[in-house]
Amino acid sequence: MARLSDISVLGQIAFAIYALIILFGGGMAVISRSLVRAMVGLVISLFGVAGMYLLLLADFVALMQILIYVGAVSVLIFFAIMLTRASADGGEGDGPGKRGLLRAIPAFLVPTALMVIMLSVYGVKGAGTPKNISVNALGAGLLGPYTLPFELISVVLLAAIVGAVLLTFEKRGVN
Amino acid sequence: MNPLVCYQTVAVLLLGLGFYALVARRTLVGMLIGVELMLNGAGLSIVAAAQLTPTDAILGQLGALLVMGLAAAEATLVLAIVLIVSKRFGDAAADGPRELRG
Repeated sequence: MARLSDISVLGQIAFAIYALIILFGGGMAVISRSLVRAMVGLVISLFGVAGMYLLLLADFVALMQILIYVGAVSVLIFFAIMLTRASADGGEGDGPGKRGLLRAIPAFLVPTALMVIMLSVYGVKGAGTPKNISVNALGAGLLGPYTLPFELISVVLLAAIVGAVLLTFEKRGVN
Repeated sequence: MNPLVCYQTVAVLLLGLGFYALVARRTLVGMLIGVELMLNGAGLSIVAAAQLTPTDAILGQLGALLVMGLAAAEATLVLAIVLIVSKRFGDAAADGPRELRG
C-alpha cells in the first residue's frame, strides 16, 4: 500500500514539473518580443504536453506529438519566420501596444476564468489511473470502426499540400 | 482535486495562452504560434477525457492524432498564405491585408 502511494506522489511531482514546463514555454511563446524565441517557447511547451501524454499512458500519442509537432510543424513555422522576416525580431519588436493589451488580457482571462469555474463546479470525477491501450488496438481501431476519419485526414492533407503548392506557384512570364 | 480536473485545467490554460497570442500578436506567424498552442490544449483535453473516464480510449487517442494531422495541414496552408502576404505587402504584419482595395 505504501508503495502505491509512493508512485502516486511521484506521478503528482511529474505532473507538476510538466505543468511548469508547459506554462514556462507557453508564456515564452506568448510574450517574447522575438519570433524565434517565441517559437522556441512553443517547442518547450510541446515537449511538456508530450510528457503529459506519457503520464496519461498514451505513449503512441506522445511519440506522434514529438514527431509531428516538434519535428514537422515547428520546422514549418521556422521556415515561415525565415522566409518572411523583414527585421531581426520579425516585426514583433514593439510589443502588442496599449490597445493590443486591452484586447488581449480579457481574451486570456475570460475563457480561462469561465472554464476553470465550470470545471471546478461541474467537473466530472474521472478514474484515478488512466487506461492502457496497446498500439495494436489503435491500429485495429484505425482499420476497423474509425476508417472514415483515417481516410478523410489523408484527403485533407493532400488538399493542403496541393493548395500550398498552388498558392505559392509563380507563373512563368508574369513577373 | 482529481486528476481529470488537473489535466483539463492545464488544457484550459493552453487555450487561454493561445487566445492571448492570437489577439496580441502583430504578425501572422505570431498568431499561428497561438493557434498551435490552442490546438495542443484541445488534444490534451481530448486524451485526458478519454483516458480517465469510461469512454472508449481508442476513440480519444485517434481523435488527438486527427487534431495533430489537421494542425499540420493548417500550418502548411498558413505558411503559403504568409508567404503570399509578405510578398505582396512587404512584411507579414496582420494589419497589412486588413483593408480591401481593388
